[in-house]
Amino acid sequence: MSNRSNAAAMTRRGFVSLAAAAGAAVAAGSLTACTSGVGGEAEGGAGGPVAADVDYANWDAVLEAAKGQTVTWYGWGGSEPRNSWIEDVLAPTLKDKYDITLDLVGMDINDILTQLSGEMQAQVEQGTIDFIWINGENFYTCKENGYLWGPFCEYLPNFNAYIDPEDAEVAYDFGSPVEGFETPYGKTQMQMWVDSAKVPNPPTTLEALLAFCKENPGKVTYPEPGDFTGTAFVCCLIAGVIGKEEFEKLSMMSKAEATPEAVKAIIDPGLAYLRELNPHLWQQGKTFPADSTLVSTMYADGELLMNMGYGSPQALVADGSLPETTRSFIFETGTVGNSNFMAIAANAPHKAAALVAINEVISPAMQLDQYQVLGNMSVLDVEKLSADERAAFDSVELGAADLPMTELLTHRIAEPAGPVVPVIEQLWLDEVVGK
Amino acid sequence: MSRRKPARVLPRAFLALHLLLVAVPILVMVMWSFTASWPWPSLIPEAFSLKGYAEVFGGANGAAVLAQSVGIALATAVLTTTVAALGSRALARYHFRGKELFRFATVLPFLIPTTVFAMGVQVVFLKMGFARTVGGVILAHSIVALPYAVTIMADVTAAAGGRLEEAARSLGARPLQNLVHVILPQLAPGILSSISMSYILSFSQYFLTLLIGGGMVKTFALEMFPYLTGGDRTIASAYGVVFLVVTFAVFLLVEWALKKFGFRAGQDLFNLQ
Amino acid sequence: MINRKLKRALAPYVLIAPACVLLLVFLYGVANGIVQGFGIMPFLGMTTPTFDYYAQALSHPELIASIKYSLYLAAVSSALAVVGGVVLSAALTQAKASRLFQLLGVQVPISTAHMLVAIAAVCLFAGSGLVPRILAALGLTTLAESFPTVVGAASGWGIIFVYLWKEIPFVAFCTVTIMANISEKFGEAAAGLGASPARTFFGITLPLCKGAIVKAFLIVFAFAFGSYEIPFLLGPTLPKALPVLAYIEFQDPDLMNRCYAMALNGIMALICTVLAAAYFAVLQRERKGGRS
Repeated sequence: MSNRSNAAAMTRRGFVSLAAAAGAAVAAGSLTACTSGVGGEAEGGAGGPVAADVDYANWDAVLEAAKGQTVTWYGWGGSEPRNSWIEDVLAPTLKDKYDITLDLVGMDINDILTQLSGEMQAQVEQGTIDFIWINGENFYTCKENGYLWGPFCEYLPNFNAYIDPEDAEVAYDFGSPVEGFETPYGKTQMQMWVDSAKVPNPPTTLEALLAFCKENPGKVTYPEPGDFTGTAFVCCLIAGVIGKEEFEKLSMMSKAEATPEAVKAIIDPGLAYLRELNPHLWQQGKTFPADSTLVSTMYADGELLMNMGYGSPQALVADGSLPETTRSFIFETGTVGNSNFMAIAANAPHKAAALVAINEVISPAMQLDQYQVLGNMSVLDVEKLSADERAAFDSVELGAADLPMTELLTHRIAEPAGPVVPVIEQLWLDEVVGK
Repeated sequence: MSRRKPARVLPRAFLALHLLLVAVPILVMVMWSFTASWPWPSLIPEAFSLKGYAEVFGGANGAAVLAQSVGIALATAVLTTTVAALGSRALARYHFRGKELFRFATVLPFLIPTTVFAMGVQVVFLKMGFARTVGGVILAHSIVALPYAVTIMADVTAAAGGRLEEAARSLGARPLQNLVHVILPQLAPGILSSISMSYILSFSQYFLTLLIGGGMVKTFALEMFPYLTGGDRTIASAYGVVFLVVTFAVFLLVEWALKKFGFRAGQDLFNLQ
Repeated sequence: MINRKLKRALAPYVLIAPACVLLLVFLYGVANGIVQGFGIMPFLGMTTPTFDYYAQALSHPELIASIKYSLYLAAVSSALAVVGGVVLSAALTQAKASRLFQLLGVQVPISTAHMLVAIAAVCLFAGSGLVPRILAALGLTTLAESFPTVVGAASGWGIIFVYLWKEIPFVAFCTVTIMANISEKFGEAAAGLGASPARTFFGITLPLCKGAIVKAFLIVFAFAFGSYEIPFLLGPTLPKALPVLAYIEFQDPDLMNRCYAMALNGIMALICTVLAAAYFAVLQRERKGGRS
């Protein structure tokens, strides 16, 4: 599976003796001897020495310091295509080009943050996490609390060469200024999909969606807001009712401005529309599936007619989980989108290697490959690419379930700012579910 | 003996029903582990795939992680059972000040949510340098398993009583002989139950392993969990199947080892016959 | 002589020492978590204890409904699990079930992760799961269409199903050894005296197993009351089970929310501790009863 680690590379025989030692040591009543003994062995395998005082502004020095390091990338581990891409494409490249070993640790972002904040509480100077797949509220909180190292973007040659730092999607993450503490690595956007064999004309407007739900009672639902996807879908609908401009007011709101009253004043017509949908939804809108996973399961089994998510379902079609007739669509009024970022932990033990790895992820070659294999929209500034590179992006053949990048980008709505998100979720709980 | 036969019909029917109810979800899991798609309304999967197993065993370290998990779980089981056996002996054989307090304390870990304990203990372990080590993970798992092990061992120790032991001693058995030939065989059924329970608790522990191991100590449960919550039923099921198969292989091995050392498991779960 | 007396007095403390080390680590960890509920997070510069978070938690509009719902789930699951587990245990003893059966019928469910059972339950019982499919294939279309939802049902039957599937065998696991012993010791005698199997069971076996059964009940109850995974996945949007409420707050990336989450956890821990006291009282009485 995805997670490779030196620490885990313990032989079976090593383990049997370990287990026996642990048992025997405790039987002898010496608990401390046991733990320090075992701990010592594990520690020995974990990571390499730490290079001190690297001049990060000097890229050659960074490359030199990164040589031989094992860098850990923490991120959500539940996407098999993404894990495979990192292992089969990115990791070997880093090994060959820079002698860096990439160790992907897949876990929920909340668990990652729990771990990071625990390390911060205990004031651990050499942590475990090098860089993190992060965005939005999580980024904001980590940055505010001093959990992140930076600013570092200016150190990266590929950032300077190919990314427009003024671009709103680079400079801001869910409304909070990035200030060089994270580097974008992919853009995603909400899309919906149906099986065209069952639904030849997907509902691309809000009126059509309401009609569609009426025609197919109980066959449509969305994950409860609070779930990432659920919140985003609700936002698409609200934005569709109140208009992109009005909705994007929410994307720059500060925590102080984001009072329930202020947010409600903006999104109220959207909430009314959501209530209007309710009686025609699954379980008459009295209850909603708690997470997007469950919605995907229900969709795959045919209980629901429509599913939604960030990015296209092409990978699922390719591996046979969804039928060939799967088609994506977006609302004419647009859908919300955001960027994924990579940030470096303040106590990262291998900062140099993390910089090199991040720089590689945003290289034109890797961005192209991610677009081809994973359907990730590139974060590079098209203007800055060479003619060849641009042509390569243009010539990528899309799967049947993919939407063209230009269509998505022209129908893209900025997500609400971090502090607004929980307010919307609470308003939904108070005013939509079961109403 | 024939007159008691009819009395077994009802229990046997009940057991058959029970086995059926247990089997159905397991079979669904096994089916899904090979399934690519299974749309409404077909009764059997429409397309099969081995991607789940490829994911479980794929890559360089799939087997190493599995071995490490088994090692951690076995160490936890041995540690917890030893600790519990000693504590249970104190409870069963001695009167001492603080006995009731001790008894109360041993049941606390299953009454207080693991989240509360995990978050607090994470900081403590980090400060002490236990975190991110295999030893730290084993220690944390042992705490979770302790109340179960004590419950099991206390019952068995109390049931065994001290008479046989006294007799052996009065016949001149040395402490070690007594331990190997009298005490351990008497406790064998409990030891086996306690080991298997602790093993399972450790092997399936996610949140605690995550916080204490900090992602540096990789276990099977840690790799399985994102798929359980991530919606890929094929991969999640494949993990589940491998999880069960490995657990059983280990149980059988432990039982075989215990037998080999001459401990008859007696009237325990594995050997009721 | 004095030496031996001293040895005898010290022996229990030596025996419990390793367990005490583990328990002290546990208590220290719990204390560390609990103080956060009082707003103490030294690394954020928060050192003044406050009851604000508890006040906030207690005034949570959903709190009472959540506690009720959690108690309901825990009570129904544990009561049914105990009845089922005892029957299973008795059946295992009576039928002199084979070892293979024990492995499959008891160890398999105990060893299967809760989340996997939940996934299997969704595959089986969701609106387009296997059971409605079979019903539809049998021509019972109306029954298939009106199949009660397993996800988000207010009755929580899906949650209870998952718990029962796991915990009935667990209760059997806790009671089967002692029941087998009793049946071996007294069963033959009672049968020899002409007592019916039912009378032997209710008159002798069950009372003697009471301690083990009560213990199993409390373990299952505490587990069903305090864990979030299954109610999170299969529970309704409103009301949420108490641990789900705490978990959602705990997951909030804003670290200040930790204090609030810990206050909710504290309320949960308090209810659990009351349970623990009850458990302890039962243990006490059981042992006293056993001695007389």
